[in-house]
Amino acid sequence: MADITSEASERSSRQVWRTAIGAAVALAIILTAPFYLDTYMTNVLIRALFLGVLALTVDLVWGYAGILTFGQSAFFGIGAYACALVFTHWGFGPGWAIAALLIGVLVAALTAWLVGLLSFYHGASPLYSSIMTLALPIVLVQIIFAGGRFTGSSSGLSGFPTYYWSIDTWFIIAGVLLVLVASVAWLFVRSDYGRILVAIRENEDRCAYLGIPVSRIKTGLFVACGAVGAIAGFGYAAFTNVVAPELGGFLLGTESLIWVALGGRGTLIGPILGAIGIDVTSSYLSGSLPFLWKFIVGVAFVVVIIVLPNGFASLATSGWRRYRMRGVEAGDVRHGPGITLVSTSGRRADAVDPTVAPIRIDGLTCRYGSLTVLDGITVEGRAGQLLSIVGPNGAGKTTLMRCISNGTERTGGQVAVAGHEIGRNSPQKIVGLGVGRSFQNTSLFDSLTVGDCLRLARFRIDGARSFVRSGTVALPEPALEILKATGLDQQLGLESRYLSHGMKRGLELAMVLATEPRVLLLDEPTAGLTKPERTAIGHVLTRLVAEYGLCVFLIEHDLDFVREISDRIVVLHQGKLLLDGTVDEVVSSDLVKAVYAGQDLEAAS
Amino acid sequence: MATLFLDILTTASMLFIVAAGLMIILGVMKLINFAHGAFLTVGGYAVHVVTDAGYNAWLTIPAAAAVGFLLGVVVERLVVRPLYSRPLDAILATWGLGIVIAQVIVFIFGREVQFAASPISGTAELLATTYSAWRLILVGAAVILGVLLTALLYLTRFGLNARAVIMNEDLARGLGIDSVRVRAMTFGLGAALACAAGALITPLLSVDPNMGLPWLVNSFMLVLVSGVAIPGLALASLLLGGAQVLVSTFVSPIIGGITIVVLAAVILRIKPQGLSRG
Amino acid sequence: MSALAKTESVAARLAVEGLSSGYSAATVIRDVSFSIARGEILVILGKNGMGKSTLLKTIMGFLRATSGSIRLDGQEIANQPPHLNARRSLAYTPQEYAIFQDLTVEENLRLGVARDGLLDERMGDVEAAFPVIARRFRQRAGTLSGGEQKMLLLSRSLVARPKLMLVDEISEGLQPSMVTKMAEVLRRTKDKDGVAILLVEQNLPFALSVADRYAILKIGEIVEQGDVDQADALATLEQHLRI
Repeated sequence: MADITSEASERSSRQVWRTAIGAAVALAIILTAPFYLDTYMTNVLIRALFLGVLALTVDLVWGYAGILTFGQSAFFGIGAYACALVFTHWGFGPGWAIAALLIGVLVAALTAWLVGLLSFYHGASPLYSSIMTLALPIVLVQIIFAGGRFTGSSSGLSGFPTYYWSIDTWFIIAGVLLVLVASVAWLFVRSDYGRILVAIRENEDRCAYLGIPVSRIKTGLFVACGAVGAIAGFGYAAFTNVVAPELGGFLLGTESLIWVALGGRGTLIGPILGAIGIDVTSSYLSGSLPFLWKFIVGVAFVVVIIVLPNGFASLATSGWRRYRMRGVEAGDVRHGPGITLVSTSGRRADAVDPTVAPIRIDGLTCRYGSLTVLDGITVEGRAGQLLSIVGPNGAGKTTLMRCISNGTERTGGQVAVAGHEIGRNSPQKIVGLGVGRSFQNTSLFDSLTVGDCLRLARFRIDGARSFVRSGTVALPEPALEILKATGLDQQLGLESRYLSHGMKRGLELAMVLATEPRVLLLDEPTAGLTKPERTAIGHVLTRLVAEYGLCVFLIEHDLDFVREISDRIVVLHQGKLLLDGTVDEVVSSDLVKAVYAGQDLEAAS
Repeated sequence: MATLFLDILTTASMLFIVAAGLMIILGVMKLINFAHGAFLTVGGYAVHVVTDAGYNAWLTIPAAAAVGFLLGVVVERLVVRPLYSRPLDAILATWGLGIVIAQVIVFIFGREVQFAASPISGTAELLATTYSAWRLILVGAAVILGVLLTALLYLTRFGLNARAVIMNEDLARGLGIDSVRVRAMTFGLGAALACAAGALITPLLSVDPNMGLPWLVNSFMLVLVSGVAIPGLALASLLLGGAQVLVSTFVSPIIGGITIVVLAAVILRIKPQGLSRG
Repeated sequence: MSALAKTESVAARLAVEGLSSGYSAATVIRDVSFSIARGEILVILGKNGMGKSTLLKTIMGFLRATSGSIRLDGQEIANQPPHLNARRSLAYTPQEYAIFQDLTVEENLRLGVARDGLLDERMGDVEAAFPVIARRFRQRAGTLSGGEQKMLLLSRSLVARPKLMLVDEISEGLQPSMVTKMAEVLRRTKDKDGVAILLVEQNLPFALSVADRYAILKIGEIVEQGDVDQADALATLEQHLRI
């Protein structure tokens, strides 16, 4: 145990050191640059450096978390206007400067929080979230226009008192800010939280069903990026001594997206270089070929989106990858940094009250318009029991699982998990009550490794580190068993896109078990598996129930499989519960035979 | 009072005409075409070109539509089709395209603002007030457009195919409908409508390389609120356009400018599927 | 299994050989081979999740065949886009979301034919088979009862006058009288027009009443094939399909 933790902390401190060294090198470049750059270039670069910070925030929100945001510029503008307004109308001095900065940051954070509340709720479509980020700068600019003399309206404010330091000093300030923000961001995206962002981007729904508070994380990120954007805007305004509504507008917002797309979304360095490169080149060409340059950028943007979606940085990273793999044989697949599995006893073991049913469903009804999919389903699950739900197509089996795992789905009836009502809770909260659900399709997280996926599943219980990558994952025994049975424990560093279908099923099951559920809902877990894989999963499920006392609800069509491993079978037909009994009772029931033969209920009985 | 009523009616008509092209593209292709503003601009410049060459001003509208259709079909093939599986990226790509088109226009025509002659100028007497004649024509144009689109959708085989693709693309394909071609034709039609709309509104505004931009966001919001249905769009145009006019008149023109955006955001939060009965 | 398929392949309307396909990483059907002659009904039996719908979707072109061939009247059609297959006279009735709920009965039927004019000519077929559908011409399809919607489905395939019909669980949820009617219509169609019909079913009595031959699909593979008339057919089927 001591070895594992010391190895983990060694790796994370190595990470921090590497980042620190990178930052130091960058700082060295910043400090020496003014000596060999001419005044014009320095001037242009200072502005570009501040914009680079903006590009960084856009990359975090869009490149990493997948939220297409047109409005990061709004926060930039808020910071800029905070500077200009305070200095113009109230006062100037170190105290005022700090106050103005704080005002800018607070207003930006508050705005970001409000927008987050409105746009990132569970079930919001990505298009809607983008619209809200689009509306933000438009509304902001109009508010600025409406401010009349106070805000300078369309002409903006200029000539307000500011720190007239030398260009070299400003260069160092801007450079240090960028390096600082970039270093923190770099550590952040390489940490556990960084993996969570990627997971949210790739499969938000699945994250919710692992108990990850997606809305809260998105809003938190948005607020943080808004605050940082405001700081950059503040610096920009203080340096250039001019603010105009364009600084917070839609056009700057879309330009920032262009920088990130061309530079390479999700790489941090790419967007920074993209922003600096394009901004500097624009300044130089704005005199001679302004329209040709914009044309070139526009065409490059369109081409990159279609052909090279990960930007120019992807050319660099694939080159780097090929360089790193040069000694390795062909066919050897990518392995990420390894992690170690650790066993944990699980927190639920003691808290289980044997008299309370792990799950109790009472009169559950689900209606879509005039269509009644489930009608008054009442069933109780017991610990240490595997209950199979069978029935012809359209009987309502998957709907039943959906209504259990998502409090907003059902129309009527109660569902209580270990005595707690699920009410109208979202999936993420119900996972917290102890419900784990697996899905018919195996969409996991393509670019995350097996180890990352498992750590993701432990978020609700173990949390996540913000600036380092954990070297270990603590898993309960059932999950560890599955990993061993499928051989996944030897493949912890493999990206999940390379897993076979059977292994993906195994990983999914391990992830769900990692959340330490009381009740396990499995939707057709054997679909697409070969005969030996089915047998293996059957053994695993039987063990889970017998050894660990889980309560398992299983939807299956393979009736031989159902007969072998179930303790109880529940038959659904046209939304009603037809029969709830032992395997023998159900198999010998004439009613059930008739239902499966497709005959009408009345005719059969 | 009558002026206010006419303002609302004509503003709603303008909004309807401008947003119609965007809506059919969203309906059939599930895509927001961010080059829409650029197509509006192209339509405006088409008017400029046609009238400069000495042709009848009424020809500008069909000319703009024809140019728009060709441009739309080309754009769909080159830019939109490769991004079918990446809708958010498609939004970005069409935005980039809009920038490119704007720059091409600047190359050819320069940055200066042009003025386009309208086929009918001057004013007319209506409801005891004097009102811009062209604005009144627009009301008629909006009604005709609504009728024509409805006829296309409900009375032609293409319309039936398009509706089938909107409702269930896989089922449509299984019945022999080439959904790729339907989408290409729809994009062409949407672009044609956008250019025609640009041609229709230029007499009221000036023609410059960025004229389409303010209309882009408003039409975008309207289309989402409309629930992708022609009656829904008409309703949205009246309600939101009316709100914009009222706010501009009684509060401030600047706040009026964001009325549509704010109202639409609120409506969509409450009712994500918009104002249609669906 | 394959011998039966091979002798028929020259004259067969549909000849499937060694077909495998599935979704992303999962292989759902494996090495499936069978054939259907003109004027013949073959029923694919099997419980849910065994790959029946996947088979139909692969033949129609919605799913990629990873190996094998599909021949219609000798011409290879594997991995062709669905709309081309539809135009080649394959009529596919899916199990779910098979009609346009918001379109009228007439519009749904119109979508079954290539040109509107053809519908007028062929309405006679619909009137003969399902008079109630002809009566509900202008009604929104979503307002029809479940049974009537299935009738509409089959009517749409009838007016297409296809060479091959792919029918996915049409008897599901229908009353016994309705099921009998369906069987009648299917048999009449294949006798009159020489249509080959590939039927996917779970309902054993219905399958036996309508099909000429059967094949059982189990975990993506065909485990049994035979003629429905054979003496031991019923016993074989019951053995494979018991709960």
